[in-house]
Amino acid sequence: MMRDEVHAIGYRRLEGPRPVWPGWPIARTLWVLGWRRRATKMSLMACFGVFGVHGVWLVSQLMARRYLNLGPRRGLLTGVDRVVGSVHEVLAAYVSIQFFVTALVIAVVASGAIADDRRAGAFELYFSRPLTRLHYALGKLLGAGLIPFGTLVFPTFVLWLTAVGIAPPGMRSELWWLAVPAVGSAALGAATLTAGIIGLSALGERSLTVCTAFVAGLLLMSGVCEGLVESGFEAWGYLSPERDLRTVVDWLLQVGHDSLSASLLPGRPDGNGSPALSLLALGAWIAAGLLALTWRIRREVRAG
Amino acid sequence: MALLELTDVSKRYGATQALDAVSCALDGRAIGLLGPNGAGKTTLMKVLLGLDAPDTGLVRVLGIDARQAPTEVRGRLGYAAEGPGRLPGLSGLESVALAGELCGLRRRTALLRAHDMLDLVGLDEARYRLVETYSTGMHQRVKVAMALVHDPDLVLLDEPTSGLDPESRDELLDLIVHLREGGGPAVILSTHLLHDVERTCDAVLIMQRGQVRFAGPIAALQQPATGRWTVRTAFPAPALADALRAHGAMAAPGERPEAWTVTLPPGADPTLIWQAAASAQISVVHLAPQTDSLEQAFLGAIKETAS
Repeated sequence: MMRDEVHAIGYRRLEGPRPVWPGWPIARTLWVLGWRRRATKMSLMACFGVFGVHGVWLVSQLMARRYLNLGPRRGLLTGVDRVVGSVHEVLAAYVSIQFFVTALVIAVVASGAIADDRRAGAFELYFSRPLTRLHYALGKLLGAGLIPFGTLVFPTFVLWLTAVGIAPPGMRSELWWLAVPAVGSAALGAATLTAGIIGLSALGERSLTVCTAFVAGLLLMSGVCEGLVESGFEAWGYLSPERDLRTVVDWLLQVGHDSLSASLLPGRPDGNGSPALSLLALGAWIAAGLLALTWRIRREVRAG
Repeated sequence: MALLELTDVSKRYGATQALDAVSCALDGRAIGLLGPNGAGKTTLMKVLLGLDAPDTGLVRVLGIDARQAPTEVRGRLGYAAEGPGRLPGLSGLESVALAGELCGLRRRTALLRAHDMLDLVGLDEARYRLVETYSTGMHQRVKVAMALVHDPDLVLLDEPTSGLDPESRDELLDLIVHLREGGGPAVILSTHLLHDVERTCDAVLIMQRGQVRFAGPIAALQQPATGRWTVRTAFPAPALADALRAHGAMAAPGERPEAWTVTLPPGADPTLIWQAAASAQISVVHLAPQTDSLEQAFLGAIKETAS
């Protein structure tokens, strides 16, 4: 009679190379855990919404220019510019507004990056494997950093590429040079958000507290500093990362006066007086985040 | 090349001397790390892993200096910590695969290997559930699978049977025996349960207050108990006790009806037992000198050095 038999395979030795850089699975685990939260999907939809609005604005602006560029309608161009604005304005507005929405996404996904590891006792899990403190830090920064890369930096590049692609022939040469300042300012915003959330997560105890503190802190600092600047205390403007970024973006993209379309969007008041000081302030935010991360890892992991 | 070589290793945390001039060289397929709570077992494991640098001394694991090349050592070691050591939000399978990837395995290899290791530790459908929903026993199994996934040369298991029900404990100890006897990695089992060590290990390192009390094969620790013998007859034979008494020996009932523990008079040798059995016309099928239990040997080692 035939009988099914089950044979245990038992322990087998493993051959072959082990080429994976250990920072990569750390980063991917951060996204996997983040993607399982409903709040992540909802905040990503908000990001797509912001991108869509700016895309429509950009396309309609450039299509209008193409149409008016033809023959007798050329005289209307200046007036239309005042209504639909310029490509510079779209890119600057996108970076400034998406900075806030991305703050929400990165807060939801990465607020527990270090805080949850501490609470769950996962440092021992990580550091009993062949990875160093640097691998861990880079893995967490990569995991958090690719979120604003996907919602802020890459879409800025796509908007710029779209603009170059559909701009009237005479305008293309003017748009080519915009790539570096537009993508550069988006990357600066991404670095500020990444270092900020990772630094705060390194200091915090619970992911929910870190998430709330990060988003509320950004909004509060932005609002309070804006109010103080309006009251004449201009130096306080440098304490708001959002205002600093806006200043740098406007300076890099050489945005002039707001058009009618831009005035309909929230968050485009004037920036700080000195772009260089704003750049320095953003550098200080990034450095503070990285220092907090370094301090926490050195405190939790004595060797390695 | 010894599995472990420690030379004058000391480690202090504030006022606590966790390791005090520990020196030993150990080899074997399964080593028991024994000692009461606070003996320094976990500190020693962390020093072996390079997670804690010793204040002084030399630590070599598998011939590699753990202070000079901690990541190389960790690549060849597997570690199942006593604490929670888990990532909430991941399933058991994902946790084990992540542990493999952290050791350099490709994603696909890590997943296949994770399935193999979870089969080995006996975690079935539950591998797809989140780790925070696991019972203590399931969690211990996942930790052992995480320690084995990258095929280390040596696995450190810190109190792996604590909190397990008898059946799960039995299965985990069977797994350690399987690793020892199969082609798996060598095992260092840290525990305060002597039975676990007795069942699974061939060498033992006994620690107390950060110092080594004994290091070597279990057989060397368990000295023969002078003058005591285990005798087994073919069938229950109460007459043997009378015959032995007549020859000046003492016989006490053993674990089974046909087994006896015989204490010989000073200076006598085991031929006395054969003579007694022959006089009572009883067949002896087993005769062996008794050794101290590991518990007796352990207590003896601790008391001897303490005094």
